[in-house]
Amino acid sequence: MSWLRPLALVGALALAWELAARSGLWSLLIFPSLTSIARELGQFVVRPERLMEAWISLYRALGGFALAAVAGVLLGVLMGRSRLIAGLLDPLFSGTYAVPKIALFPIFIFVFGIGSLSKVALVFLECLYPIVIMTYHGARDVNRVLLWSGRNMGASRAQVMRRIVLPATAPYIFAGFRVALPVALIVVVITEMVSSADGLGYAAIYALASLKTDRMLAVVIVIAALGLALDQALVALRNRLIYWETLETYYV
Amino acid sequence: MAASHRLAGVGLGVHRLAKAVALLFALVVWQLARAAGLPDYILGPIEIAQHFTGALASQELYAHIGASLARALPGFALGTLAGIALGLTAGVSRGVDQTVRPLIFLSYPVPKIVLLPLFMLWFGIGDVSKILIIALACFYPTFINAYYGAKATPTILVWSGLNMGAGRWRIFFNVVVPSAAPLIFAGMRVSLALSFIVMFATEMINARSGLGHLIRDAENSLRFDLMYVSLLSIAILGYLGDRLLRFAGGRLLSWHAEAA
Repeated sequence: MSWLRPLALVGALALAWELAARSGLWSLLIFPSLTSIARELGQFVVRPERLMEAWISLYRALGGFALAAVAGVLLGVLMGRSRLIAGLLDPLFSGTYAVPKIALFPIFIFVFGIGSLSKVALVFLECLYPIVIMTYHGARDVNRVLLWSGRNMGASRAQVMRRIVLPATAPYIFAGFRVALPVALIVVVITEMVSSADGLGYAAIYALASLKTDRMLAVVIVIAALGLALDQALVALRNRLIYWETLETYYV
Repeated sequence: MAASHRLAGVGLGVHRLAKAVALLFALVVWQLARAAGLPDYILGPIEIAQHFTGALASQELYAHIGASLARALPGFALGTLAGIALGLTAGVSRGVDQTVRPLIFLSYPVPKIVLLPLFMLWFGIGDVSKILIIALACFYPTFINAYYGAKATPTILVWSGLNMGAGRWRIFFNVVVPSAAPLIFAGMRVSLALSFIVMFATEMINARSGLGHLIRDAENSLRFDLMYVSLLSIAILGYLGDRLLRFAGGRLLSWHAEAA
């Protein structure tokens, strides 16, 4: 029921698009009809080399994200539990937070080469910030009473970390992941548009250059679907792991 | 009381000093590593500072900075204004909420930059397509924060307002907007950072001016000095923009404790 209105809006937009495509007012290069977009979309399922482009982008995004998740949670927890490490690293992260890391890409190309490594490295760097900052805030604000009770009842440092700090920080960690995962996809698409010979970002630019607007829009739809599916998968995983606390606001 | 204040002041000074020493130490290590032999494409801090001051003296850098800002700032203004207006509307009107919000939340994790090729086709390869894609990217964080901000307006304030005879519009502007303002402001900070990222990305993909174009041009002609000049410029712009926005926010929202 709650999906009726948004669906109606999408339907109206699609209808308007199709009418614009068929009206003959604009060239089909500018408004390709929905059927030709759907046909190009079908190619993604049928032709293995198209699927390969999607896979390449996905593995770059997830590779950089996974590295950032491991390093970010580790750094964030260390910063949250040690004043010294926080004093050293917090100025570094908060000072460079507003700086667009994407500008490092040309230098990364020289350092890591023009292949996947420079892209994965940039994804790692961009994803690291939200994960570190959210984890740091969560680990710093663990309820002190819980820590005291744990120590008082004889828990070792490792036990306190595993049984109290990590579960208490987990919602923050996932909030950081939720910000970082779309960022990973954005960075991959940008870097592939700027310099690449494969991946979805390249496929979109190449389709535009060869005036295949319908194919380009099919690529756009695939990227959008990928972003949506990754986000939904992350939310499902979060709700399974953090069963004791429901996700209240949709976005942090 | 006074003694503890003085002690806190000393602690803060020591803290700042430690930070400065750590930064200086990192720069010295970097410079020494450069002297010991790093590849050509990694310059030392002294060289970067020299090239940067050299570029500051020439007119070319200002032209690129101006071209970049002429894309980022209109995009930011357009996107945040639309985001705030629609977000607040969705926050107070159930009809708009149920129609528009699901679609916006659903498309939130989609990278908006993929629409750049389509925008280039529709609006040309000039500045319009870039400004519109920046506006689209800036729209989302402000929409979401304005929406939650309006939703979180304390009901008791709205009731009091109604009780004291305020009309719908007065409640909207005098109760809902101020109570959503801190969250809106947090969203604008995210949007400003995004506007610089998307601006740089669009300029790297296709442009004839701007900092993103400068860095691509330098890369293609192996002018490593210019690459670092562009990098440092965008870093300073991003940092200053954020500082300026936070300063303005602290002034405007001085009644709100967390804003600054």
